[in-house]
Amino acid sequence: MLGDPRRAQEVFQATLREATLLCANGETPSDPFWFFRDARWRCLETSEHGLRAEDVELQKHDLSPSAPAQIERLDINQLATWISAAPEPQRTALALFYLDEFNHREILSLAELRIGELSRLLADGRRQLQAWLNATVPQKEAK
Amino acid sequence: MRIVRLSRRQRLLANCAPISEELMNDRSMRTAVFRARASDEFADQQSFDRAVATLVRSVPVPPEIGEWFSSENLVPRSKWKWKMAQNPAVLAVAIALAVIAGVFVLQFLEHRHDFPGAEGARKLLMVAASTRSVLLDPVRTDAGALGDLFFMKHQLEHYDVAPEFADFRTLGCRVFDDEEGHRVAQIWVIEKGMQFFLFPAERNAKTGAAVEFSGWRYVEQEGWTGVVQERNGVCFMAALHGREKDLAPYVSKTKE
Repeated sequence: MLGDPRRAQEVFQATLREATLLCANGETPSDPFWFFRDARWRCLETSEHGLRAEDVELQKHDLSPSAPAQIERLDINQLATWISAAPEPQRTALALFYLDEFNHREILSLAELRIGELSRLLADGRRQLQAWLNATVPQKEAK
Repeated sequence: MRIVRLSRRQRLLANCAPISEELMNDRSMRTAVFRARASDEFADQQSFDRAVATLVRSVPVPPEIGEWFSSENLVPRSKWKWKMAQNPAVLAVAIALAVIAGVFVLQFLEHRHDFPGAEGARKLLMVAASTRSVLLDPVRTDAGALGDLFFMKHQLEHYDVAPEFADFRTLGCRVFDDEEGHRVAQIWVIEKGMQFFLFPAERNAKTGAAVEFSGWRYVEQEGWTGVVQERNGVCFMAALHGREKDLAPYVSKTKE
């Protein structure tokens, strides 16, 4: 979400502190996803203050069968930077989806999206990521 | 290239198909994925997603954060709550299940003492409930004497009243065919308005031999109770409008 481990850790600690305070006051959150919702809003708030990538129309390429080989050659920080640079709510959708911990209904609830929106955001995200992969790790090089 | 036709909704769902199988806990999602799996495009999508998820999983978690989750699931699954039980849909399903379970228990209790021919005996209890004395030929004698009448007049062998009931005075009798064409003898006696039935015992479908059972067996239907004994391939049933305890004094203590 943030593309910056230090700021991510700050968000984690702030969310944990908030949860501890609520529990101490006998207001334990009943929502099982409270932690993720709170963390998400803190991430969005934090990213408002930092440098933001300019919103530009990204290229889209069809998914290639050799994409897994291209992705293998990526550095995790490159991927984190790419996802954190995506506009909201695509950034949240991609982050939650590739965390591989939530089903689609949970993602819809957490990201406050409808199924058509989530579907479009993920489909566009994949094609944009493929275009970026083709530019960053050319297919011939990946093979 | 394999292409599959999907509905609009299935296309939307297939685009959001979870990477892990265990997250596919939604029927509509499973259906969409099942259909989409036949296409090359979806296969590419899944390979792509798996590769990205593998890379994401390689993100190192700082040890001080990792400690917090060492023994917990990242996403706690919701547990059953009393609030859910108050949901009308859940309540309706629970009531329906309770009714179904009740019916099964009732059926089990009703049929736990069943014996070969119990179903036929119940039908005859319904006959007993609807029979009027005018339907029977008036015969005033001891019930035990009617065995000879049935043999002589109707060629019904072994249609003998059980010794326990043989001394009762009769009001009338008749012989008729039941729904399955079996010959049934019906006797009306003075004692407590009791009725006796003699009918063929249930037969083994393969061998045709009468299925035997020992002792007296009770059967109930719509307020009527019968006590049945099988002898020589013929069942004798004494029936009255009442409960098992009303018939019990008449039968010998060899009941099973």
